[in-house]
Amino acid sequence: MFSPLQRKLSYTAWNKAIIYFNCSHQTFYLLFIFLIPVDKISSDHTFLHRTPGLLTWNKHKSIFSYVIMPKVIVIKEKEVLFPDGSVNKKKLVEMYRLGFSILTGQKKIKDSIYFLFNEGEKIGIKINTIGGKKLSTRPEVSLCLANELTRSNIQGKNILIWDRTNRELKDAGYRLNMSRNDIQVYGTDTKGVGYNNSIVSHLNIGSLLSSIQSDIIDFSISLAILKDHGLAGVTAGIKNYFGAIHNPNKYHDSNCNPYIAEVFDIPSIRKKHRLSILDCLMIQYNYGPSFHSRWIEKYESLVFSMDPVAADCIGWNIIEKIRAKKGLPSLSEEKREPFYLKTAEKMGLGEANINNIELLEEEV
Amino acid sequence: MNRRQFLKTASSAGIIATSGIAPLLMDAYAFSNNANLSKVEARYYKKLPEREIECILCPRFCKLGDKERGYCGVRENKGGTYYTLVYGKACSVHVDPIEKKPFFHFLPQSRTLSIASAGCNVNCKFCQNWEISQVRPEQIHHIDFPPDIVVASALKNKCPIIAYTYSEPIVFYEYMYDTSIKARKEGIKNVVVTAGHINPEPLEDLTKVVDAIKVDLKAFTQDFYKNYVRGKLESVLEAIKIIAKNKIWMEIVYLVIPTLNDNAEKIREMCQWILKELGPDIPIHFSRFYPAYLLKNLPPTPISTLEKAHSIALEEGIHYAYVGNVPGHKSESTYCHNCKKRIINRIGYYIQEINIKGGKCKFCKTPIPGIWT
Repeated sequence: MFSPLQRKLSYTAWNKAIIYFNCSHQTFYLLFIFLIPVDKISSDHTFLHRTPGLLTWNKHKSIFSYVIMPKVIVIKEKEVLFPDGSVNKKKLVEMYRLGFSILTGQKKIKDSIYFLFNEGEKIGIKINTIGGKKLSTRPEVSLCLANELTRSNIQGKNILIWDRTNRELKDAGYRLNMSRNDIQVYGTDTKGVGYNNSIVSHLNIGSLLSSIQSDIIDFSISLAILKDHGLAGVTAGIKNYFGAIHNPNKYHDSNCNPYIAEVFDIPSIRKKHRLSILDCLMIQYNYGPSFHSRWIEKYESLVFSMDPVAADCIGWNIIEKIRAKKGLPSLSEEKREPFYLKTAEKMGLGEANINNIELLEEEV
Repeated sequence: MNRRQFLKTASSAGIIATSGIAPLLMDAYAFSNNANLSKVEARYYKKLPEREIECILCPRFCKLGDKERGYCGVRENKGGTYYTLVYGKACSVHVDPIEKKPFFHFLPQSRTLSIASAGCNVNCKFCQNWEISQVRPEQIHHIDFPPDIVVASALKNKCPIIAYTYSEPIVFYEYMYDTSIKARKEGIKNVVVTAGHINPEPLEDLTKVVDAIKVDLKAFTQDFYKNYVRGKLESVLEAIKIIAKNKIWMEIVYLVIPTLNDNAEKIREMCQWILKELGPDIPIHFSRFYPAYLLKNLPPTPISTLEKAHSIALEEGIHYAYVGNVPGHKSESTYCHNCKKRIINRIGYYIQEINIKGGKCKFCKTPIPGIWT
């Protein structure tokens, strides 16, 4: 009676709301809704993680919308990189638009953005710049995303592209901008920003949080570059938040497990995370996270998901496929598969079983 | 002002507040820019293929790619060469009494120029100094304080001892080592306050240039080390044996934490191990825990628990056991293990009376282990 994508669920949210419905692709039939301030539920990401779908009130269109979860979109564009390695910005825009459209079920980018964010919210785009110019989230990739947000009427002053330090941002090719009226780009070590004063003690984690993460932004997009990682196996969207704490060096024991999942589970991170986008234009598939030209693969893709664990799981799968193609042993064989993804799943942060992830691969 | 701001300010202002030392530093060194880290090649590492390195300074054996830092946060691989970022970069400088380290059998009442850099190679959940030990050097203020100036400051401030302390000196090994050599040439002694989480080779080398080492033995179970220290008990015990073998004066501190490492049988087992491996003359300090860092949920150690640990040590045959962090407690003082008379009367860090002459008990002439002159 129901297709595999049709879901039937009951869910008790913090306000004792009960949602009961089934769905098929982008259409849905709402069978029963009891007491749901949906807009508020959607602002708590716990809801996203613990249900297979998101029912949310789209203020822009004044309707309920539903997205099947966990869904991961891989957008490919064979010409997004010019032969010299620079980015074709026009193609990149198309990739973003297609990715957002499929992810949210909205035709227009503006509707997609308002599906995910509300007006007036400060959006942090957390990038990863530890790898220098050759192996960081490219400035073109993050600025293109920021521009798409502004084109959808998110004010530039409400967008902050950030990472740990200004030095790393500059080394990765970013131009710092602390203007209050424009898209901002700066690091936690900016004067007057810094880390929070009180330590966050959460499970095995004891860290100071970047005040960007805890105080300045309302919601976060993790825009990490996908890389192989000598200890964690894979570094992608979840591990990107190691850059939001002051002492990531303390959490690399035992394949960074359970630390990556536990850092992500810090309420100020988990609840603010809305979207993972993985920069997979070029992928370091071996000997990461440092740059090694002989193990870089041109992949020309972006990965989108609202499930942070599923996004990284697909990222892992991409790396494994490249490694297999190159005749390298799998990460499991090297005893460094990303165990933290299973931990994250157990913690209710998302889906780590690739068989349960709806993967949609599209070319522009 | 909150604790962190206070510590940031204090780590800088500590120098200014230190009597006598401020003018020298203020004349010669302005506070560094935070990005002003050192780039001095580290010792004890192996170069690996593909610009990777393996640090062999401590039992973690961090294997790092280009641009990565070790667990300590103060040593970085840059293009296949490993650098210490804190050589000559002190985040805390102060003149303390030697009793504060604590050393109770090493030049009592001596002024000690105490220095530290950021960083640590363990992560104790009860760390009292986490604001400097659990951060990266660029996250706190530090000053340029190279070895020559450290030694000059010690002389100027009439400090016969330089102590490498507060955070974890193993992570600023090169800075400590070079300073120790220069200090010795000026007749200044060097003492190290450490968790002992270091590999045998660097420790053997260190024992050639320092005069005393205080080891924090955090517990006597690997479970505790795993869960509350993130280190290896076995490595620390090995380090203790190496220090003893090299005849460097050593004192051991055991911070007694309620419910976590206060088991009487384990304390007894530890005392028996010390007795067997090191003999009865290594002083043990049972220190009182105060809630800090990630263990704020526990109460301070009951004094009765400390007294129990103290009595276990004496029962087992340890000659010199102390109760620490309890100012005014009678077991802060030193009693001759032979005649049982009080030979050093201490209240907190301050000494009221010394009855040791020529390294012997003034009453019964029994030699008292330690460095007294």
